[in-house]
Amino acid sequence: MKKNLVFALMLLAGTTFAQKKVTTSGSISFDATTPIDALPKADNKTVIASLDTKTGAVAFEAIMKNFAFTNPKIQQHFNAPNWLDSEKYPKATFTGSIVNLKGVNFKKDGTYNVDVEGDLTMHGETKKITTPAKFVVAGATITGTTDFTVKLDDFKIDGPAVGAGKVAKDPKITVLVEFK
Amino acid sequence: MKPTPAKRKPWLKRILIVGGLAFLVGAAVVYYLFTLKFDDTASTKADFTVNALDLIAEFAKNDTAANAKYTEKIITVSGRVSEVEAVDSTVNLKFTDTTTGNYAIFAFQEQHIAAAKTVKQGDSVSVRGSCSGGSFSSILGTTFVTFKRCALIK
Repeated sequence: MKKNLVFALMLLAGTTFAQKKVTTSGSISFDATTPIDALPKADNKTVIASLDTKTGAVAFEAIMKNFAFTNPKIQQHFNAPNWLDSEKYPKATFTGSIVNLKGVNFKKDGTYNVDVEGDLTMHGETKKITTPAKFVVAGATITGTTDFTVKLDDFKIDGPAVGAGKVAKDPKITVLVEFK
Repeated sequence: MKPTPAKRKPWLKRILIVGGLAFLVGAAVVYYLFTLKFDDTASTKADFTVNALDLIAEFAKNDTAANAKYTEKIITVSGRVSEVEAVDSTVNLKFTDTTTGNYAIFAFQEQHIAAAKTVKQGDSVSVRGSCSGGSFSSILGTTFVTFKRCALIK
């Protein structure tokens, strides 16, 4: 009896674990290039992300200082107090969910186009965003991608480079996550 | 009658020379700033050389103090690789404290990606990179330390 109970609990724990997929190697690309400056773009490849295949809940968190630029000066400006102020606001986070989850079968191979809605927090400001996303299921691997733009004004991000047109006021964010 | 020689304007010549020099210096500074790139981390001197589990424990104990000490510093970290995670067209290497789940993760500089791809789970390696700091993950419930622009040292 006791053994059966332990087994049932283990099974339940296993099921619960299996429906929540996580990765510590998600990728977010930030592209704020403009016609007069091609340098403000960076990648963060150590983003933590999760997907609950049962509820459709999705989340990510990214350390701001892990956005890697090729140019040291641009990286310094990106993290400086008059731009992202990464010392004060070290993380960007997103918590949300798949809006049209009924159209997705994470147990069946295929490509599923969905909408993801949730709260994006950056620079200490939280804004609700909705963006189209794509999930590709191939065996045990689920790959999610999305890209969207954010308005720096919405997140109270400003600075001389933004004003001078050297940094796009609505940078493009591209997210790639692979859950196994 | 002898023609009057054109009046010389020495101040104009000086302005043109100074202006030209200022333009050249300005152009050189802008070119330098725009083409500036990070050095190869493999040939950059490390500020600290640490064992992976010790580093992870230091962040887990007091991340404020550890962030002040290590963030944006070049660190050589040695340990046994717990995971090799594919990301986009590259890989990340991880050292994990298996008793807590806390981990350190390393993303590689372009020229060192090929070497990183040869590493296998369980290998003992040294990785040098720029520490981006550590934090507590509300998604995982663990402490993590992230590195960028890494190079495999051995």
